[in-house]
Amino acid sequence: MTFATPLIAGLIAAIAVPTLVILYFLKLRRSPLEVSTTLLWKKSIQDIQANAPFQRLRKNILLLLQLLVLALLIVALAQPRSDQGSVGGQRIVLMLDRSASMSSTDGDDSGTQSRLEAAKQRAIEVVESLEEPGVLKREGSADQAMVVAFDAAAEIIQPFTTDKRQLIDAINSVQPTDAPTSIAEAYRLAQAQRPKRRFTDDAGGTLPAGQTFELEGLVGGPGYTFHLFSDGRIPDSDVFKADAESEDAPPTFEYHAVGSPDSHNVGITALRAERAFDDPRRLSVFVGLQGTEPAPRNVDVELLISGRIVSVRTVTIPAAEPAQPGAPPTPATGGVVFELDEPNGVQVTARLPGIGGTAGNALDTDDEGILIVPPAKRSAVALVTTGSLFLQGALPGLPLSRFDVLSPGEYEAQRVSGALNKYDVVVLDRYLPEPNEAGSRLDPGRYLIFGAVPPPPIGVESGPVGGASAIINWRRNHPVLRELTLDGLVIGRARPMVIPDGSGAVALADSPEGPAIVEVSEGTVRAIVASFDLGETNWPFQIGFVVYLGSAIEYLSGATADAGGTGDRQIEPGGVLADRVPKDARDLRVMLPGGGSLELVPSLDGRVVYGPVRDEGVYRLEWAGTPGATDLVDGVKVSRFFAANLLDPQESDITPADTLGLADRTVRARREESSGVLELWPYLVLAGLAIMLFEWWIYNKRVSL
Amino acid sequence: MRKSANPTRPTTIDELIDPALIARLSQLDLSSNKIFAGKLKGERRSKKRGESVEFADHRPYALGDDLRHIDWNVFGRLDRLFMKLFLEEEDLSLHIVLDASASGDCGEPNKFFYMQQTAMALAYIGLVNLNRVAVTALGTRDTAISPQGDQGIAGTIRDLRGRRRIQDVARFLCSLGPEGTTDFGRAAKRIAMSRRGKGIMVVLSDFFMKEGYETGLRMLSGRGYDVFALQVLAPQEVEPDVAGDLRLIDIEDLDHAEVTVSSPLLKKYKQNLAAYCEDLRTFCARREITALTVQTDTPVDILLLDYMRKRGVLR
Repeated sequence: MTFATPLIAGLIAAIAVPTLVILYFLKLRRSPLEVSTTLLWKKSIQDIQANAPFQRLRKNILLLLQLLVLALLIVALAQPRSDQGSVGGQRIVLMLDRSASMSSTDGDDSGTQSRLEAAKQRAIEVVESLEEPGVLKREGSADQAMVVAFDAAAEIIQPFTTDKRQLIDAINSVQPTDAPTSIAEAYRLAQAQRPKRRFTDDAGGTLPAGQTFELEGLVGGPGYTFHLFSDGRIPDSDVFKADAESEDAPPTFEYHAVGSPDSHNVGITALRAERAFDDPRRLSVFVGLQGTEPAPRNVDVELLISGRIVSVRTVTIPAAEPAQPGAPPTPATGGVVFELDEPNGVQVTARLPGIGGTAGNALDTDDEGILIVPPAKRSAVALVTTGSLFLQGALPGLPLSRFDVLSPGEYEAQRVSGALNKYDVVVLDRYLPEPNEAGSRLDPGRYLIFGAVPPPPIGVESGPVGGASAIINWRRNHPVLRELTLDGLVIGRARPMVIPDGSGAVALADSPEGPAIVEVSEGTVRAIVASFDLGETNWPFQIGFVVYLGSAIEYLSGATADAGGTGDRQIEPGGVLADRVPKDARDLRVMLPGGGSLELVPSLDGRVVYGPVRDEGVYRLEWAGTPGATDLVDGVKVSRFFAANLLDPQESDITPADTLGLADRTVRARREESSGVLELWPYLVLAGLAIMLFEWWIYNKRVSL
Repeated sequence: MRKSANPTRPTTIDELIDPALIARLSQLDLSSNKIFAGKLKGERRSKKRGESVEFADHRPYALGDDLRHIDWNVFGRLDRLFMKLFLEEEDLSLHIVLDASASGDCGEPNKFFYMQQTAMALAYIGLVNLNRVAVTALGTRDTAISPQGDQGIAGTIRDLRGRRRIQDVARFLCSLGPEGTTDFGRAAKRIAMSRRGKGIMVVLSDFFMKEGYETGLRMLSGRGYDVFALQVLAPQEVEPDVAGDLRLIDIEDLDHAEVTVSSPLLKKYKQNLAAYCEDLRTFCARREITALTVQTDTPVDILLLDYMRKRGVLR
């Protein structure tokens, strides 16, 4: 038995016990009464005292009882507790899936309750069944529970508590979102609550005896019991496996599946818009659909441009069939492509009209998708050449807004007058400009260079001119080289380059002698350099050459636009809205799709972040100041649009999973680790109360008439 | 039991004895089973042969006898001289001993006033019937007030005869107040030593004497008095009306007892009181003392006309 607060109790005992004794020795103030004689009274008192058993004790029994009560209370104040070393209550983590699929309205048979509502009810039932803490119960014997809500991200709604009211309130406060599902963060969040495992160093002897140390990432304590309330559409449920295998007290899982396996859904799982490579005015919008019904189904797909219906197509979604007999059916997919002539930046909406709330569509969130399509971008290109048949022939075929052929002299003249700003990309053919004041041959700008090597400081060193060569390796994932092959390229006279140490240059294609194509990126200068002369290769006769020109000019000019200007304006619910705004932007606000707005403060370099984005819809950044290239200007207000769409096949496939791919359930051995501490003070207080009642009874018996 | 809040302190005979009671008392007389020798001619038959009309005996004439009492009829028949003896009628001595200590100043009605009333009524009866009446008050007093105050006698008045002395008795009784302690033994000794003749003695007291009543009563009963002990108790002494934590102060000697009144205590008190009274009665019965316990809420006329008649004190 140990005492929690012996000092306080000792202090109070030192004050209270003498006080009680002194009070007792102070005589009772009796009211005087004159009587004819005290003869008979004295005799009576003597008689009573002589007849009563334990008369001496009885004289002081009230004092003794009071001292006993006081002693009990003081010991109670010291908070004695006995370490019984037994197991405490369970630690339960209630994980509520609030992702988009949980909004499906098949939580009950009538189809009015969402899955989240059903999950909340089940969670509350679990909470109700927890063992409650009591004054007389062993400390820690009560079950504790934590509420974690998760979609793509996780949030602790209620940390561990034994208070059922708080838990139920926390469960009820969970709101559905339109985000996809990821349980990993929720799991790690819950595991992070566990105490660190402590080790005693008994072998190394570097630590004093009795001292413990912790290792990062190793948790101790009994494993949690996870109650997972979900429809099982969790792509990353294998996160538990590693823990379950490595821990000596692995967590246990209980999976509460919500939703009806008979409910079906049709949803948009993909939405993309692309401008045609050769004609940026042409906009293709691809809508991908997914259905879970076991029968083919026709679905109308509407396409809206800035809120106006421009096209309706009927799509047939084939029947969903299981991949193997007995397995759950794999959702069937379908798709449709809309071709539009739309050079402007628009908001494209694809939706499935007329199926909201019907039997075959349990989830409404995925019936609509929005795209923000930037306006068609065309570049202005200047070709500086002394005469190149290939380039002069190929470049005009590209969708350019402006194309000028300049001689080196004209180029230098325009360079002095500053008229070069109107070009997005300058193509240098076997020519390098004169060095400027900084000693660099390249002014700030974008360059596509053939047959010349810009020397350092901005550039690479050129190696010796060699013989015939070929490209043996290239970066296939680079935007410029992604869509072409360099296999057939034969170089008559290789001029390999040498990339100096510490240079920002990256080799895009290598010949056996050295890099043949490099990307130079130094501050405001960006250049793609092909060191060989086009006339000495067979490249111009290959389709890949035109593709290379187009990709490179698109890549370079795209990089010239303001930061993020043509970036993807798509956000996934559960992710964050991150973008850059011009540095002079003021009064920056984000307008939320549900109405309402939020003020944002951009960082010094103009970066803004809002998140996590929970609901799908159109988010609008609004500010006063300089607009970006694709931004909408309305008076002083500049607007930039972002679209958040679910577009997640996992979420649209609402068929609840019967089982989760969890690790093999190992039988958990309960470790006698938690200290079952029994608080003794309530018993002492109760005993004190009983003695006080007994004392009252004795007193009453003595004075009763 | 507790000290009277407003005790009656009589100042005239009318306050002491109700005129209506006087009318009823006139028919009463003192009686005693014993026949005492009197002092003066009275209405009481005496042991002595005397000059009443009632014939008692004959005796032979002796020289010097009064010739008037020779029974001449017997002389004529027998020719011998015989004296006619007659019963003597003498007065009866009534000695009223009254406890005038402070303990009498208790109860509702006041015990001392009750004793005063009873003493007055008894004295009245005695005086009206030509008896010799003496009244002695017990209680220690300063010797300046009472010559025998240090011996436990607060005052005494004696040798009273005839109706005219009624006022004297009343005045004496009115002059008394309940104060001081009792010293019953010494006082009784004093009374016994100074007695005049034999007769009836009525002792009025509560008999709550710490030193004990036995010595005193023995003294009084041993000298030829027909002693009548009247124990006067207040109703509050028989049924105490107290409660709580009390410091009981003895009104006489200021002794105190601390009690917490409880039902066992009260029960014990009543038992003790009953036993005390029973002891008194037993003691008295052994010494031919008639004992009577009376509560002060009993009217005086009932006490006299009923209780005392039944016990043969009055007739």
